[in-house]
Amino acid sequence: MAGKIIADTLEHSTAGSVTTDYVVNGSAKAWVDFNGSATATILDSNNIASLTDQGTGQYQFAFTNSMSSQYFSISTNTSNRDSSNAGVDRSSQGGSSSSSNFHYEICDITTTSNIDAVAGHASIHGDLA
Amino acid sequence: MQTPDFKGTHLWDRLCWAKENLDGVQSDYRVVYEDSIDECAKILVPDPNWMACALQGGILPPVWVYHELAKDEAQEDFKKHTRGYLLHETEPVGPMTEEEAIEYLIMKDCPSSVWKTYNEGNRPKMVICTKQQLPQTREWRNSWKIAA
Repeated sequence: MAGKIIADTLEHSTAGSVTTDYVVNGSAKAWVDFNGSATATILDSNNIASLTDQGTGQYQFAFTNSMSSQYFSISTNTSNRDSSNAGVDRSSQGGSSSSSNFHYEICDITTTSNIDAVAGHASIHGDLA
Repeated sequence: MQTPDFKGTHLWDRLCWAKENLDGVQSDYRVVYEDSIDECAKILVPDPNWMACALQGGILPPVWVYHELAKDEAQEDFKKHTRGYLLHETEPVGPMTEEEAIEYLIMKDCPSSVWKTYNEGNRPKMVICTKQQLPQTREWRNSWKIAA
């Protein structure tokens, strides 16, 4: 590919150096921003192939480039996509039992029932296959 | 825009190229399926950036690659993938129509127990429709089933 830089270390003039392993291993390997209400839609993403709407507040996302195993980190968040009490009374969780996808769930912490995501977000860290 | 020759290029790098150079394509197609009698119908939604890759061609690996990785993962002693190179080194598939892309996605992301026998029971286990054909509110979402 054009513009390729091959380097093992990045060095700052005064602040020291870091190996590019940190950059490669520490970068998010997938992320997604979606609307899980009405007819669920992915608004934007990277390395996501599909969303499966599995019921109220339950969603599964499949990777295009699978992870190396089922053990990877999932960070989730939910909001109202506005500035008013975004995400208040909502709890989001992520889980995985496969290298090819992950599960995302949203709960209303008052009723402890699942609730649909107006704006759901997730990012994935780990090793790619 | 012409896809670069990505033969042997890591799939992640191909996806990064697509993200930078292709506009996402929001498909109206949805796949409704039932894989458990005890659960509600599930709805498969294609990702817009993935759909752009499928329509563009030369980026995504053939779907059989995912099936091979799934076979590996189903082994009892599986710890981590050792054949990830299949994703990166197998020649990417060419451009697909939107309908072909949906068929590919079904074979990739729906359980094979659904798509291999979707029309063999008393009623279909899977239906391809447009999002306008789905209920427009989420009322009774956990009770949705495919109509006979």
